[in-house]
Amino acid sequence: MDGQVLKLWKLLAISGLLLLQTGCWDSVELNRRAIVSGVSIDKGLTEDKRYSVSFQVIVADEITGKNSRGNAPVALYKGSGRSIYEAFGNASRQSARILSLGHSKVIIISEDLAREGIRDLMDIFERESDMRLSTLVFVSRGQRAEDILSVMTIFGKIPANDLVQKLETGNRSFGYNFRIEVDDVIRGILAKEGGAIINGVIVKGDLEAGGTKSNLEGIKPKAILKNAGLAVFKQDKLMAFQDGTEGMGLSLIHNKQKEYPLLLELGKNESATFSMFKVHTSVTANAKDPEHPVIYISTQQQAALKEYNGSLDISKSSVLRNWEKLLSEETKKEIDAAVKAAMRLNSDYIRFNETVNRVNPKGWKRVKGRWDTIFTQCEVHIKVNTLIRHTEMRTRSLKSSGEGVE
Amino acid sequence: MREIRIGSVHFFSLVLMFELGTALVVNVGMEAGRDAWIAIFLGCLVGMLVYTGYNYLFKLYPDLPLSGYTRAILGKPLGAVVVILYAVIFLNGAGRDMRDGSALLVMAALNRTPILIVAAMMILSCGYVLHKGLEVLARTSFIIMVGVLLIGGIITLLMFFSGEMEWSRLQPLLGDGIKPVALSVIRSNYMFPFGEVFCFTMLMPYFGDKKRAVWVVPSAILAAGLIISFTALVNITVLGSDMVERSPFPLLATVSKAALSDFIQRLDVLVVMLLIIGVFFKVAVYYGAAVIAISDLFNLPYRTLIIPSAIIILFSGMLDSRSFVEHLEEGAEMLTFVYPVFTIVIPVVLIIVAAFRNYRSRSRPG
Repeated sequence: MDGQVLKLWKLLAISGLLLLQTGCWDSVELNRRAIVSGVSIDKGLTEDKRYSVSFQVIVADEITGKNSRGNAPVALYKGSGRSIYEAFGNASRQSARILSLGHSKVIIISEDLAREGIRDLMDIFERESDMRLSTLVFVSRGQRAEDILSVMTIFGKIPANDLVQKLETGNRSFGYNFRIEVDDVIRGILAKEGGAIINGVIVKGDLEAGGTKSNLEGIKPKAILKNAGLAVFKQDKLMAFQDGTEGMGLSLIHNKQKEYPLLLELGKNESATFSMFKVHTSVTANAKDPEHPVIYISTQQQAALKEYNGSLDISKSSVLRNWEKLLSEETKKEIDAAVKAAMRLNSDYIRFNETVNRVNPKGWKRVKGRWDTIFTQCEVHIKVNTLIRHTEMRTRSLKSSGEGVE
Repeated sequence: MREIRIGSVHFFSLVLMFELGTALVVNVGMEAGRDAWIAIFLGCLVGMLVYTGYNYLFKLYPDLPLSGYTRAILGKPLGAVVVILYAVIFLNGAGRDMRDGSALLVMAALNRTPILIVAAMMILSCGYVLHKGLEVLARTSFIIMVGVLLIGGIITLLMFFSGEMEWSRLQPLLGDGIKPVALSVIRSNYMFPFGEVFCFTMLMPYFGDKKRAVWVVPSAILAAGLIISFTALVNITVLGSDMVERSPFPLLATVSKAALSDFIQRLDVLVVMLLIIGVFFKVAVYYGAAVIAISDLFNLPYRTLIIPSAIIILFSGMLDSRSFVEHLEEGAEMLTFVYPVFTIVIPVVLIIVAAFRNYRSRSRPG
């Protein structure tokens, strides 16, 4: 009898515990959530609406297809407030579901906000436990940041993912934009002598049409998202955008460029175009005298000939050797342009400060306070080593053969 | 109670899991900035040194826990007072660690869950294991250690392959000289987590192979030191020292950066698991030490003390502070001013008195 009572008690206790097993205090069912794929931050119109924040929310039904109504795959919710979180709250009120930030891929900051400084607005992205440090950061160049998030894209339904992929594809071979995540930006802002670097982004084409499905209907898209330059900062204030050679040089200095194209002008309509690969850059310094540090940038790269319209006989190694020199010169120019630009802007976003600190920590402490005057006077030596392994699938060019016939 | 025997491997894993505990995930030694990993390693060496003191006492009284030989050395009344103090500090340690763990869990993952519920779940599981006995605790630690090392291995590999680690962030090595490192070691690093090994003075008598005991515990401390130091190093190379310094839970941020393209992502859950596992062993060992001390002192059966102690631990942990910030502030003070009394001052007194007595009793016949 006693044993039975005990058993009964045990049974009751266990079923009581089972009750606890079902619930998770923090659970939010998926159909109560709206996944935010991207966040954009614009300058608000008035003082008490300092930020105007837009959230690109994935409409799950449109993505999966089954219950699709054939509408836009994402929706933009917009709110404004004195802080990002207040704006988030205001935007959330318009949504039937809980906006969840955990999966946002991109953060886009408008240029005019970036010029005023981004220190205040980065905090939430670091602090908020839902957000990931691996979220990418962009600056919308000359446009409102929310416009970037309202373009229908060709590959993939979610515009934010499209932007991420464009960045990665570009970095792989042609572009000089590279992955810049929240923590990279924060480290950049924190460096007193330097500044952050953030990818620029623009919408090319018709902004109005970009947000509608008509953007995808024709073969030529009416509006396209595009990476545009690297925004360089002095601490947290945007100074300039670096494009072209300067942008490429910047990416090279940071050792973020693994592959890039390079064209050699060889005079009278002749040129050779190469794809540079296995690029590796290292920066060291000789800072025995921290007042006059000498910076050494050295780059190793290999080149593959992609296009050649000249008449030189490139089955001779001497020609290739000469080209290697010219290529090195060309790369050197790009790096030099980036260094000069940084010195002109007087912001050490190319991280010479860290290099000097690394080799001479004691000396660095002495000059730390007036690094901005020393930085611009830094002696910089750039050494580039290029190797052309082969000329790909042909030796002499089409042109040289034609001339041979005549 | 007396027939409990814990094997060397199991004892090793228990010490290792205890040492890793919360130290693996929380911010350790960051007063030393980017040299934190050096500070941690030095702290570990100091911890081993401190342990040799306990070892001396253990050799004199291989069958008695701290609560036993304290009374043997200091005499019954004074000894009893000291043992009560130790019981209190053990309970406090368990409570503090439980608060640490549940607060971090609530901060990072379970935002809306009441902290009391999280803590209650933890103390329940610890109480259950202790009810099953210390051997079960030790064996559990062995099984879980294998899991933890696997998780650690996976995370480490991922960090290497994801290319997020930048070794240059560690440089300049000792850029501010040895002073901040030494300060950090002195202030708290040797104590947290390495000095905390003093709880094991309560468990040493249950060690199966007394001869090997001398080596097992220090080697576990060393292993833990290397692992924690390496973790700090990874944190700094991935995030940079400033961000680690400002983060109460740096490993979580570090691991959230790890990704192999879009394929393997979101390993944060592994870190949260590490936290829960670590807190479990930390609390269980302190809790066990407290229970043994009380039962030994008052001659009460071990099992009847489990529930009352659990309640004390739960509420002292919950009521010690209003917020996590306050809790950490208090913790820092405890580590600098209170814990050293128990891990160093009292043991040193015990060693001196014991050595003196030993010397006298040996010299008397001659």
